[in-house]
Amino acid sequence: MDENKSCKHCGDCNPETTDDQWKKDFPVEWEGDHYVARREMVKFLTLGSGLLAAANWAGAGIWHWHHEGSFEARHIGSAIALQREGSMLFLYPTDNDPCIAVSMPDGQIVAYSQVCTHLSCAVVYKPKEHDLFCPCHNGAFELQAGRPTAGPPTRPLPRIVIERRGDELFATGVEVSA
Amino acid sequence: MSVQQQGTALFTSILVFVATCVVVQLWLLTVSMEAIFRHEARAALPAAICSTALFAINAGLLRYVFRFDRSAQRAKSE
Repeated sequence: MDENKSCKHCGDCNPETTDDQWKKDFPVEWEGDHYVARREMVKFLTLGSGLLAAANWAGAGIWHWHHEGSFEARHIGSAIALQREGSMLFLYPTDNDPCIAVSMPDGQIVAYSQVCTHLSCAVVYKPKEHDLFCPCHNGAFELQAGRPTAGPPTRPLPRIVIERRGDELFATGVEVSA
Repeated sequence: MSVQQQGTALFTSILVFVATCVVVQLWLLTVSMEAIFRHEARAALPAAICSTALFAINAGLLRYVFRFDRSAQRAKSE
């Protein structure tokens, strides 16, 4: 073996010959490897982008299919009992949605979701303060529109549409304001 | 600079842009799902439209990548 061409590490092999062999075994250049890897990654991410867009539409579609215009009237109790008690709990639109109806001093009846818009604790009616109070973090909502007046909640309570048929009260819809 | 080197630089910048769009889409999906679970569906439709627009941009860029790749292959074979 030629002394000048021997490998400086082991002294046995010829670096030129081993380089040639290495290049024959792995003929892809780094540049080509980067090129293909980035091209494939763009392809993969675009596929992911499509799936995310589809998931967004699926979420919007499922919501629309389940909720839009599908509120049914539900009997929640008698108006006389509500005026006597001051407030009344009921479930609307499903059995998993607690709500609270309050009889105002002027005879008006308002109803809101009982789930606090901060961290989903149940709000209660406080006759003295005349508001809906969340005991978890001392949040408070006024009764005219369900807007937050104290504590950490920033969004109003969803309003339940109440219809009076004689002495009976029916919930007929849910209104969410910004 | 060879065509392949140009392609690598181009694909890298496109990749960064597409990845940013995907992150925005992920955020839109999170916001949309959160709104749906809060029974506030108004955010869902604009989020879906924005997400589709971002996907359209990404698909357009992918089409460009394929076209560039084809022309690079052709230049290499010639």
